[in-house]
Amino acid sequence: MTARDRILSAIRATLGPGKPPAQIAAEAVALLDPADTARPRLAAPALPDAFALKATALGTSIDRVAGMAELPQAMARYLSAHGLPPSFAMQPAPELAALDWQGLAPHPGVAADEPAALGLALYGIAESGSLVVHSGPENPILMAFLPLHHVVVLREATLLPHLEDYAARLSAQAIPRNAILITGPSGTTDIEGSYVRGAHGPGFLHVILIAEPG
Amino acid sequence: MSALPDFKDRAKAALADPVLKTAIDRTTGNAERKRAAALAAFPEFEAARARGKAIKDHVTAHLDHYLEQFERNATARGAQVHWAADDAEARAIVTRICLAAEAKLVTRAKSMLGEEIGLPHALADAGIERVETDLAEHIIQLAGEAPSHIIWPAMHRTREQVAELFKAGHQPPPAAEDPATMVQSARRVLREKFLSADIGISGANFLVADTGATCTVTNEGNAELTTTPPRIHIVTAGIEKLVPSTAHAFALLRLLVRSATGGEMTQYTTFHAGPRRPGDADGPEEMHIVLVDNGRATMLANEFREMLRCIRCGACMNHCVVYRQIGGHAYGGTYPGPMGSVLTPVLDGLAASRDLPNACTMNGRCAEVCPVGIPLPTLLRAWRRRSWREGLEPGSVRAGIGLWAQLARRPRLYRLATRIGLPLLRLFGRGGWISRLPLAGGWTDHRDLPRPAAQSFMDQYRAQQKGRK
Amino acid sequence: MSAQPRPRVGLFVTCLVDAIRPQIGFATLQLLEEAGCVVEVPQAQTCCGQPALNSGDDRDAAHLARQTIAAFEGYDHVVLPSGSCAATIVHGYPDLLAGDPDWAARARAMAAKTHEITSFLADVMGYAPAGRRLNASATYHDSCSGLRELGIAAQPRALLSHVEGLEMRGLPGNDVCCGFGGTFCVKYSDISNAIVTEKAEAIEETGAEILLAGDLGCLMNMAGKLHRRGAKTRCFHTVEVLAGQADGPAIGEEAS
Repeated sequence: MTARDRILSAIRATLGPGKPPAQIAAEAVALLDPADTARPRLAAPALPDAFALKATALGTSIDRVAGMAELPQAMARYLSAHGLPPSFAMQPAPELAALDWQGLAPHPGVAADEPAALGLALYGIAESGSLVVHSGPENPILMAFLPLHHVVVLREATLLPHLEDYAARLSAQAIPRNAILITGPSGTTDIEGSYVRGAHGPGFLHVILIAEPG
Repeated sequence: MSALPDFKDRAKAALADPVLKTAIDRTTGNAERKRAAALAAFPEFEAARARGKAIKDHVTAHLDHYLEQFERNATARGAQVHWAADDAEARAIVTRICLAAEAKLVTRAKSMLGEEIGLPHALADAGIERVETDLAEHIIQLAGEAPSHIIWPAMHRTREQVAELFKAGHQPPPAAEDPATMVQSARRVLREKFLSADIGISGANFLVADTGATCTVTNEGNAELTTTPPRIHIVTAGIEKLVPSTAHAFALLRLLVRSATGGEMTQYTTFHAGPRRPGDADGPEEMHIVLVDNGRATMLANEFREMLRCIRCGACMNHCVVYRQIGGHAYGGTYPGPMGSVLTPVLDGLAASRDLPNACTMNGRCAEVCPVGIPLPTLLRAWRRRSWREGLEPGSVRAGIGLWAQLARRPRLYRLATRIGLPLLRLFGRGGWISRLPLAGGWTDHRDLPRPAAQSFMDQYRAQQKGRK
Repeated sequence: MSAQPRPRVGLFVTCLVDAIRPQIGFATLQLLEEAGCVVEVPQAQTCCGQPALNSGDDRDAAHLARQTIAAFEGYDHVVLPSGSCAATIVHGYPDLLAGDPDWAARARAMAAKTHEITSFLADVMGYAPAGRRLNASATYHDSCSGLRELGIAAQPRALLSHVEGLEMRGLPGNDVCCGFGGTFCVKYSDISNAIVTEKAEAIEETGAEILLAGDLGCLMNMAGKLHRRGAKTRCFHTVEVLAGQADGPAIGEEAS
């Protein structure tokens, strides 16, 4: 007998004959109902405000701008405020490449010691102040982990109230290789419980929140 | 310290170490305060806890179904699923994958299951360089130690001790001894390793059945740096980690983070569904998932089934009076504290660990803080029952309890014994106290014993009643 | 019909109170009578069986459970001056005897009418002490079994608030175990000592003259440690203060 058979037959010997899968699935769904009684309420009635409150509490900085056209200026503002060079890694996404980057110098690859990178969030989650990033041809995962400063573009229109709302979106599409919820800059409390930012991932997380609908 | 074979000796050595006590107090004190604050800000916690418990019980009741569903979906995403009945099989599978890939360097993101199956030693025996990437695991790797806590594996080390380890282990050594500078030094040293590793090994906080994804949560970002650049990503996970869907994982994650660190959400919550897809900008070429039983199917069948709910948050140890005195290493198993005292007899055998379920005051604080409602004292009592039944309790304890029970079962004899015994016992006292008592050194070595009454309540009461008539 | 008949209460003083500090038993008796109960003390009582239960010796524990049930099941209520012994009857007995067809239902019925004294006085009898005065400062330790298995926290505090002149001071870590744990304190005496040392330090830091708690085992542990440390804190069971007996000798003090 393979290990698989041994494990499954031991489990079945205890549990007995199983229920029909459809019934198990229905029971599983029922366990999450009603959703609102067992999850935190939003920090503010409007999603952008709720998101901003949670994100900033975790050390994420936020710049709210009216439209995508203002993104290069907002990026320039962030880079100069932190004394960073105008060169930064940028996610190879058409909607970013289409913008006029003026005096800035975005480049596609991300170096091991990249000072800053700019990428797009697929969704934001208001409950927790999380950003959602999916892997793909246009989205190297390391862009979110190697740089010291991670700047993320988030459209208000993509904000979701709760984690379950994101789970529903995820299951309605082709599951990506990596789905990542980023909630604040990298940190550790491994030395005597004292909090230090920038353990392995970015020490700085900056969100440029775009008001205009996509 | 952990080399001592006997629990009591290890505990005694730990109690004599004031630096250890300082380190434990700093970390567990912080954890307790932060958890309390997180719960105060989450009035729905009790409802969320009931739901988390129900989700885990549901999965346990249909474990075979969910294992097969997960396997099917993970395989469909291109992952290779392996099954290991015990720790030796799990080690063999991981080692075989590493050797087949001719791996020289393996990076590892903290996983208690990896510790449970003895992965660090197995990799060393196979001649593979292993680099621990979680900061705490990095610290204890430099120290040549095992984790002493499931969330903060290096919590037994003070910052001064970490500074010594980094001074010796980092080239160049950190410029200063403050945590921020030391963390920067580790970031620099480990960055090279992340990018040159052949294989990255992680655990999983959740296995999502309906997508076939594994989920890791970290605050440092080391898991993604461990699993993305290398050619191969290996996940080792216990079979109790299954959840029906992503939404169920989130329901448990809310409980896990608040209970573990007092945060609301981990900084990085990552779902891994198979290896690199065609056109993907990065990611591993192979993904292997090792599903490990190692005693879990047995627990499903016996009185320890509820332990399969455990989500490894560490709240029970942070709130345990015993753990907070002796730290994690004294327990002698992979998992310390109350949850470890239930699990270690499963993993290492009761004969080798009978002290653990006994070394507990049954105060119930662990069960009170458990986010999935595991009745830890009840489970510890179940081990005591087995230990008694199997004759593993010391003869002195058996004789003592037996003699006392024989008396207590005979009320008249019991009255007689108190009538004779109490005046005798009083002879050892001076004033109201007894400060030395033969055979009771366990008490009087450390504290005085109130001198018993000259006449028991029952005798005094009976005399009064007679007087009234 | 006239007023409700007075409830008949079986008083289980517990083995520790019986041998070490009978005053607690008499204080409990007095309070129950003041609250309007008819109190009886069955002679067949010894120990609830907790030491056996916590040692894994279910056979002896079950014997003692049956003996105790037989002695007490005829009363309207069973009351004990101990949270941990009451919890043994309330939670331990139904568990121990669940598989015994002759005793399972009796164990459940017994559990349903068993109470720790302060919760019985406050929750069942609606009693409040009257005319009690104690000019002293005191701090209160929540014994674990009573607190977590029976939910006893507000009742003793509410009852104590009726004692005039008594200044209650908060105890940091009031809900943290004192390290007694029954046989734990002698089986693992080094660990127990480390725990009770911290507890004693916390008690001393309150500066309170009196320590109160609802379980004699915990009180003996804390009082014994405080005395060994040379602290002047006097230790009483909550019922002794409620019954107006705290002008007598504290735990470890001999009547002159």
